Amino acid sequence: MRSNSYTLIFTSLITIFFGFLLSVAATSLKPRQDINIEIDMKKNILGALGIEPKNSGKWSIDEVQKVYRENIVGIVLDKDGYETDKDPKNIDADKDMNFFPIYIHKTNDNINGYVIPISGKGLWSTLYGYFAIEPDCETAKGITFYKHGETPGLGGEVEKKWFQDNFKGKKFIDGNNTLVGIQVVKGSVDKSSKEAYRQVDGISGATITSKGLEVFLKEDLAKYQAYFNLNKEVIG
Amino acid sequence: MALLSKKSKEAFKDPLMASNPISLQVLGICSALAVTVQVQTAVVMTLAVIAVLAASNTTISLLRNKIPGKVRIIIQLSVIATLVIVIDQILKAYMYDMSRQLSVFIALIITNCIVMGRAEAFAMQNNPKDSFLDGVGNGLGYGGILISVAVFREFLGNGSVYGVQIVPETLYSYGYENMGLMVLAPGAFVILGLIVWLHRIFAGIEAE
Repeated sequence: MRSNSYTLIFTSLITIFFGFLLSVAATSLKPRQDINIEIDMKKNILGALGIEPKNSGKWSIDEVQKVYRENIVGIVLDKDGYETDKDPKNIDADKDMNFFPIYIHKTNDNINGYVIPISGKGLWSTLYGYFAIEPDCETAKGITFYKHGETPGLGGEVEKKWFQDNFKGKKFIDGNNTLVGIQVVKGSVDKSSKEAYRQVDGISGATITSKGLEVFLKEDLAKYQAYFNLNKEVIG
Repeated sequence: MALLSKKSKEAFKDPLMASNPISLQVLGICSALAVTVQVQTAVVMTLAVIAVLAASNTTISLLRNKIPGKVRIIIQLSVIATLVIVIDQILKAYMYDMSRQLSVFIALIITNCIVMGRAEAFAMQNNPKDSFLDGVGNGLGYGGILISVAVFREFLGNGSVYGVQIVPETLYSYGYENMGLMVLAPGAFVILGLIVWLHRIFAGIEAE
């Protein structure tokens, strides 16, 4: 049996050594990890807008940076829909309740679309994604999800192309310029219905995920209505 | 003189078949269920576990005569935890998409019974070379089962293996459907159970 002081010294040395090792690893790898997170975010924003990599394969880091820089401008809005001088990078969705980041897709001063971050509860987990909007500020252009913990094959289908393509061209504003949101119906959309303009096909076996998506999408869209209405006045 | 002594060879070879950590010692089942939906994740998980096992076994074996008996478990745990965190950080920096898919399961290697089991049962009593081999062997034994389960699950559940589509599109148009059960946890239980059973039959092991 060894003495208590030996045990104490030994454990202290081990702790200091491994603590040092960990801090070296964490700090030296941090810059690369941050780039990965940034690239991933940019890829998702481009994906929501339907912008694909040129070589029909995978995005390279340089290509993402280049395409993003040339096409996307990120700004932050206050709750009345006016632009602020903040950077979307510094907005923490959980803390800054009154500031909303929005990404504008521009080519030569022409606006091709908007992208807003969306998130909310599904069945098991919080879903995170982006929602792209046409320049008319009332039609969906695309949707992507980059993080969720829903059941694969059921709620997890939200990440599949067939479900996401569903949203393209659907409106979330009715004839009276009121936000109505996009409805996820059970089964397939009845094309003859008056409501079909704002309905998408649901996922069988994933009612709660679909309802959750419907609710948080509308809530998130509501935050941007002030801005969209301002835009419409300019156009109109 | 042979390159490896008989004991070293056994340290390496035993866990591959005769005392496989998953199918015979039934350790590390949790991750075997979680990361085997796709072959690719199973392969990366295997490599991570081999790296952690080999390094932790070697480190602990080097320290084995210095570690005070009273606190040996916590010392083993800090060695293992450090290694796992470093690997997690490396994956986040260099294989970001993969680390997203494996999510918490890399961090959970810390609690994988195989790693601590080998540290306590082997590395504390044996020299660093044998301990290293024992680590690699156990990692491979674990990975072999992991990848076999993943091959079945991805093939039956997704029609592909290692991301390459195997089941032709034409078959789907004739009404073939992927087996949804396979991508869920119960699918892994069924496959793993069958593999354990077959392995025991071929290894000639009777009920305990």
